[in-house]
Amino acid sequence: MNSRILWLLGAGLLFAAGAVFAAETQAPGDNPNPVHLVRPRAAPLSAMAQLGQKIFFDVSLSSSGALSCASCHSPDHHYGPPNDGPVMLGGKNLSRQGARAVPSLTYLERQPNFSIGPDKGDDDNAPGLAQMAALGQTVPRTKKQGGAAEQNIVPQGGLFWDGRADTLQDQALFPLLDPREMDGGSVEIVAAKLQHAPYADYFPSLFGAGIFAKPRLLVSEAMFAVARYQLEEPSFHPYTSKFDLWLEGKARLSESELRGLNLFNDPGKANCAGCHPSRPTRDGLPPLFTDHEYEALGAPRNADLIGNRDPAHFDLGVCGPQRTDLAGQEQYCGMFKTPSLRNAATRHAFFHNGVFRNLEQVLDFYDFRDTSPEKVFSRAADGTVQKYDDLPPKYHGNVDISDAPFDRHPGDAPVMTAQDEADIVAFLKTLTDGYRPDP
Amino acid sequence: MSVVAAALCSAAVLADQDFDRDHRFPHEVHTATPIKHLVIIFNENRSFDHYFATYPNAGNPPGEIAFKAKPHTPTVNNLVSANLLTNNPNDTNPANGTGAANPFRLDRTQANTRSQNHAYTPEQQAYDNGKADLFPEFTGRGTAGGVGAFGTNGQVMGYFDGNTVTAFWNYAQNFAMNDNAYTDTYGPSTPGAVAVISGQNNGAKNIVGSSSSIADGQGGLSLIGDTDPAGDVCSSKTSTVLMTGKNIGDLLNSREISWGSFMGGFDLTLSNANGTTNCGRSTFSSNVSGTIVDYIPHHAWFQYYTSTANPTHARPSSAAAIGHTKASDGKTVDPANHAYDLADFYAAVKAGNFPAVSYIKMPAFQDGHPGNSDPLDEQEGNVQLINFLQQQKEWKDTAVIVTYDDSDGWYDHAYARPTSASYDPAADQVNGAGLCGTGAATQPQPKGLDGKPVNGRCGPGTRVPFLVISPFARQNFVSHARITQASVVRFIEDNWLHGERLGGGSFDETAGSIMDLFDFDHCDEANKVFLDPTAGTVVLSVPEGHYHY
Repeated sequence: MNSRILWLLGAGLLFAAGAVFAAETQAPGDNPNPVHLVRPRAAPLSAMAQLGQKIFFDVSLSSSGALSCASCHSPDHHYGPPNDGPVMLGGKNLSRQGARAVPSLTYLERQPNFSIGPDKGDDDNAPGLAQMAALGQTVPRTKKQGGAAEQNIVPQGGLFWDGRADTLQDQALFPLLDPREMDGGSVEIVAAKLQHAPYADYFPSLFGAGIFAKPRLLVSEAMFAVARYQLEEPSFHPYTSKFDLWLEGKARLSESELRGLNLFNDPGKANCAGCHPSRPTRDGLPPLFTDHEYEALGAPRNADLIGNRDPAHFDLGVCGPQRTDLAGQEQYCGMFKTPSLRNAATRHAFFHNGVFRNLEQVLDFYDFRDTSPEKVFSRAADGTVQKYDDLPPKYHGNVDISDAPFDRHPGDAPVMTAQDEADIVAFLKTLTDGYRPDP
Repeated sequence: MSVVAAALCSAAVLADQDFDRDHRFPHEVHTATPIKHLVIIFNENRSFDHYFATYPNAGNPPGEIAFKAKPHTPTVNNLVSANLLTNNPNDTNPANGTGAANPFRLDRTQANTRSQNHAYTPEQQAYDNGKADLFPEFTGRGTAGGVGAFGTNGQVMGYFDGNTVTAFWNYAQNFAMNDNAYTDTYGPSTPGAVAVISGQNNGAKNIVGSSSSIADGQGGLSLIGDTDPAGDVCSSKTSTVLMTGKNIGDLLNSREISWGSFMGGFDLTLSNANGTTNCGRSTFSSNVSGTIVDYIPHHAWFQYYTSTANPTHARPSSAAAIGHTKASDGKTVDPANHAYDLADFYAAVKAGNFPAVSYIKMPAFQDGHPGNSDPLDEQEGNVQLINFLQQQKEWKDTAVIVTYDDSDGWYDHAYARPTSASYDPAADQVNGAGLCGTGAATQPQPKGLDGKPVNGRCGPGTRVPFLVISPFARQNFVSHARITQASVVRFIEDNWLHGERLGGGSFDETAGSIMDLFDFDHCDEANKVFLDPTAGTVVLSVPEGHYHY
């Protein structure tokens, strides 16, 4: 099969339903079935969002006087980390490592709440997390191919790598108070700073004259204002990547990019779309490139993290240590949230521990974890390959070995060739915002 | 009751009768008042103080459209008039722990909030034997809401004002409102949905599994929580219930008066823009950042009664049959049995077939329930419908009631001493353990469906908004007369049924009258108030292009 046919098939795979090929009029690389994408409505920032903007950039809220939200969630880096290291540094002297790689704040406007199992809707008698988690111990998982496996009883949604906050408002307070990050001290200290901030006039006008007498409420409102800034400010969810424009028929993918898309979507190949869906939603919303679910992938331990010098220390994601309410649910130990891949190509820290520094390393991990684990994991003193060395052995059974490409065995041919990886990387680069088509 | 002749508008009605030869048209049905069409928009989960705490004065922060009250707006019983905005007992009672809070303003940007606890017992406990000081402790446990939702400890004390619930404040400014309206019993959606059509939550019967009900002490069940209606193809497969009493639809049927239930998502044959169909039709809301299923079975009032159910969601035989028991041939029974989609309401009215009584439930994203809806989406659905109705020739003898199934547990300061007692040892707590009322010796429970005193009807429950929008509504008027959801049933009975009552322990017998919200001597047909569906502000001409139907 020549590459031209494969190329067209890629587009067909994405829009299998109702795909009509109009080969005579289509240039190669065009989307044969352009769609209309529904983007968030743009409007001038409300007073609440203007307040949030000021708080977002306020370094005075940190103990160092040097860090704001924007320091780690840099507007120039798609609200991700601006540095080259695995984590950011914070605390009073800007010398403490953060616990995990800094996630981007973009594309969280549709993030569902943390839950376990299928959506319960408007059911006032819905079972709680504990009940669903108990059910999850016995019900087998279904394979993930080309979209969310909605009936899986696995965690989904929430913010942070472990989903411990449901709303952007709740999320905002964690780094503000974390001693490794902004180290803001306490709600009371933050409240006192807010009361004397240059933007303090906003508070009584929005929340009533009594707001300064209620420190907890003041901080809740301030964090909501930050959340509102993220919701209203278009640069947190622009959907201006080359791929978005291609979906709308306004940009053309190169041969390599389109091959990469094909491999990305193909359940028998890279199967990336199994967890990072690439289709617009039924409501015409642009794809988020995450199914919001949690997976244990067994990424290698990152020796660059100070905390990992303690051989007994393990970051287990959903079951702790940062998250504390699901510590007993051992079937979730080692699970971390599937992030969006939008703007991933501009990052320098991948996975929760930042162990990978570029997309090539990430794809090598997917390709070789099971076929040639020695290329991914370090060796012990006796020479044995330490597979899943960032998880205690009793949790190795939680690691996904059923979804392609993680269903292979040592000695099997890797699912991707070097060219395949290069093409997927080329495709992932089309997910970076701010693309300007040639005039 | 006295039958009052109306001045201007009814003359127009008489003129219209030349065209209304069909005896089934509401204009020829005898009514005690000039009202020939009643539309009940039954929204979800807001307390009176939550929407009107500072009425008629809004915060008006910079950058938002200011709300300015009309001069001579009457005082309402809210947090301002009760002087409860500060030094509130929910802030000073240490039992509320970290949730202790004074009431606080919710901004328009905070329209999408968490939902609170609105179960039968916690709502009673929040009222703490009349002290109304344990809301954060008992009802202040919200679900998270969407990623952009506002939430805080003590959030149950939050209230909106005219910068967010702008449309309802504008309707109150121009029409009539009651500030003493309650749910008939404590608890969530389903008891409210059956109360507004039957005045009765006793007589529940489990069909599949168990229901959210308690033993009534006489061998029967009272429904105090949400359970899906049995037989509805969209209902839960593990838990369903039916009600065994009568509802207002039965009485209207016996007099051949046209009526209908019109619910968003009810027509299973339609497909939404996103391709969803059947029971799973859904709509994306950017306000709650989620795709919400339109039809919620446990809100489907008439589906709980075998006589008024349409379990398969069968379609009416024609648009002309909407509202009627029989098809337009007048002989065959129409398959829809008075249960339709909201789209059918718009279609029937446009076709000149406006039923006498119409119960409306918005699609879930517009029903007002925190979590799946919000005040801005709710406002859009309500305003579109009311704008539409004001453009109809039938508007001159139409009344719209906007009220609620329950309070969601949101703080409302106006405790109502129970007039309907209940003494379930576990479920009833409002006046002490096992007590809703002063005790069976001094305050017996109300009679249930079988005429014997029953438990599970503790009420009045929580105070909810109640607006009447009509050419006959008093203008910028607030009634302080005690009413409940059953007062809607009573009005229908008084207007169309010569005051016939449901019996079987229905609260229609004792519920207050809403007649004082009207002035039937003065019909002001020119008093049409068109609002912008998004902003809720008054506009001079009808906004175009907003109708989904």
